[in-house]
Amino acid sequence: MNLIAQTLADGMVLGGIYALAAVGFSLIFGVLHVINLSHGILVLIGAYLALIFTELLHVDPLLTMPLVMAALFGVGYVYQRLLIQRAVDSSPIGSMLLTFGVALMLQNVMIWVFSPDMKNITPGWAFASFKIGAVTFDAVRVSALLASLVLLSCLAALLKFSALGRVIRATAQQTLAARLCGVNVRHVYALTFAVSAAFAGAAGIVIGIILPFSPHDEATWTLNAFVVVVLGGVGSPAGALIGGLLLGVVNTLTAQYIGPSFPNVTMFLLLVLLLLVRPNGLLGNAFSASR
Amino acid sequence: MRRRDVLRTGGLAAAALAAPAIRSAEAQAGKTLVIGGSVPLTGAAAETGLNVNNGYITAASYLNDVLGGVEIAGEKYRIELKLFDDASDPARATTLIQRQIDEGTNLFLGSFGSNIVLPTAAITERAKKPMVQTGGGSDAIFTRGLKFVFGMFPRATRQFAATAALFKTLEPLPQTYSVIYTNDAFSKTAGEGVRLACDAAGFKRIDSYELPAKPTDVSSVLGSVRANTPDLLVCVMHDQNSLLVARQMIASGTNVKLLFQGLGPQLASFREALGKYSEALLCSTYWDENVPFKDKFFGDSRKFAEYYRSKFTRPIAYHVAGAAACIETYVLAMQAAKSTRPEAVRDALAAADYETFYSRIKFTPEGDGDEILMGGMIGQVQKGKLEIVYPKAAASAAAVYPAPAWDKKA
Repeated sequence: MNLIAQTLADGMVLGGIYALAAVGFSLIFGVLHVINLSHGILVLIGAYLALIFTELLHVDPLLTMPLVMAALFGVGYVYQRLLIQRAVDSSPIGSMLLTFGVALMLQNVMIWVFSPDMKNITPGWAFASFKIGAVTFDAVRVSALLASLVLLSCLAALLKFSALGRVIRATAQQTLAARLCGVNVRHVYALTFAVSAAFAGAAGIVIGIILPFSPHDEATWTLNAFVVVVLGGVGSPAGALIGGLLLGVVNTLTAQYIGPSFPNVTMFLLLVLLLLVRPNGLLGNAFSASR
Repeated sequence: MRRRDVLRTGGLAAAALAAPAIRSAEAQAGKTLVIGGSVPLTGAAAETGLNVNNGYITAASYLNDVLGGVEIAGEKYRIELKLFDDASDPARATTLIQRQIDEGTNLFLGSFGSNIVLPTAAITERAKKPMVQTGGGSDAIFTRGLKFVFGMFPRATRQFAATAALFKTLEPLPQTYSVIYTNDAFSKTAGEGVRLACDAAGFKRIDSYELPAKPTDVSSVLGSVRANTPDLLVCVMHDQNSLLVARQMIASGTNVKLLFQGLGPQLASFREALGKYSEALLCSTYWDENVPFKDKFFGDSRKFAEYYRSKFTRPIAYHVAGAAACIETYVLAMQAAKSTRPEAVRDALAAADYETFYSRIKFTPEGDGDEILMGGMIGQVQKGKLEIVYPKAAASAAAVYPAPAWDKKA
């Protein structure tokens, strides 16, 4: 019983992190209809920026989140206006090629700037843990989960209650109608991309705290985001959260009860199964939003 | 004067001025010996790949610039390295090596990672060109009858013999062990080696865990380790994964009497990341700058390390020394063979028995390093420094056993 509780708790914590890492990808896919293969790079830029700010300012890495998100917001806005916008109305292959190329280039730039060596962000509480009953919780991972939940809630609130959120949702649902109503769609696309990049940066901080990272890890986070989005559905924080939690729990249950080398097998089996049974994702809006 | 005339006159003048210098350099250096290969300067293996690359450059530049070249069969040669970034990608590496063979390169250095060394060695084997490498330890490289590939370590299943021998000397004698390895070419065979060596040494195996090649969470495995705690926990995987395991062990309070991590604690960055928690971690190391070997070119290990530091700011690691020793081994073999022909060099490498700053170099008939002479040493982190604790002849400190629990490490 303890083992099941521990495994489920570990899975939820891992899933929360997957969800945060995927939400930006989901938003871009849902609104711009672009599969952003440079998403993992944005996550890693967040991790490296957090490392730099933590060392420069001598503050807890989580406190660097506003700075990192602001920086990534700016980078995302410019990236979208200069490059992504050119691919928005072309074929999906065009945008995939563009973002894949950018990811390759930026990975090499990061190697040049930061070296290929693994880095990690180690806050003072990096090795703390606590127990609830017989279940042990790793403080770093739990704080990462809490940060994920808070950020996902903020994003959900932004999309639901703010004027910007309404415009983003309107553009995602009916781009032409939004344009006819006077919405500056290009600006909304850029803002959406910027918000997504900011959340990818925040995820980078959380990931940098719990895992060692190096420039070549970008593909892992792009792939995870893709799986989470297919599982949960596109364009909403709730979809990312459901997909992330499901992926996390499946991962840890598989590792515990089938074998530690099998999580990837079950992850892709689940992906194939869901595409066959429910191609719209669990929250049902995968392809309606992304055409 | 027209612009074109100015350029023409300037070019001729520059050539005239440079000519004596070029002639003098040619006279001094004589022929050029091209050694080709690929190294991962980007991608998953880039961290260690950079160390391997720096080792190659250090040896070549010392032999060329400090010693003025090397003498083989009465002629002076300068070493020219033609190394390309294979991006940790076996497909790219094989293309690069095939192209170099087509261009006439006769001697090769290895990349880093068994998954790259294995297919590239198959290409050089077909072309009957030797490859000396410090990056591939998988058994598959040395058990397929390849005659032209030589490695600076014993094959993976033999690498753990020294560690098992150390375990036998610990008091009180450990009784049980578990092993964790990742699903990649090197770690998987290394895990097999751990099982073979520990079982043969009489330790009882509790569990053997295989993780994906790139794990992001090991909490379930650590839950099992806590439920069935062994005396010794052996982790054989690459540095980044070792760090993940160590961090999660600390945070989840997973204690064992001794934690051995094949790769990781030998790196200063790894020890820094764990801080006080790195204390008493055990690892393999194949070279230390205090080893007592004498060297025909560098003098000894310390002088090699000094020269390396004069050229690079990156901390020295045993892969740097292993890579430099690859080039030295080539030169010594060519001097012994009195030839640079690939077949003659291959035969001389097979018969090698040289002392270098790295270790005594002697290969098995299958091409991997001799288990005893090149079997490496065991290091343990003590007061933040890596001390050699085995073999006794090279030991700088006694092994600490049992290691303190994580929360007792001050």
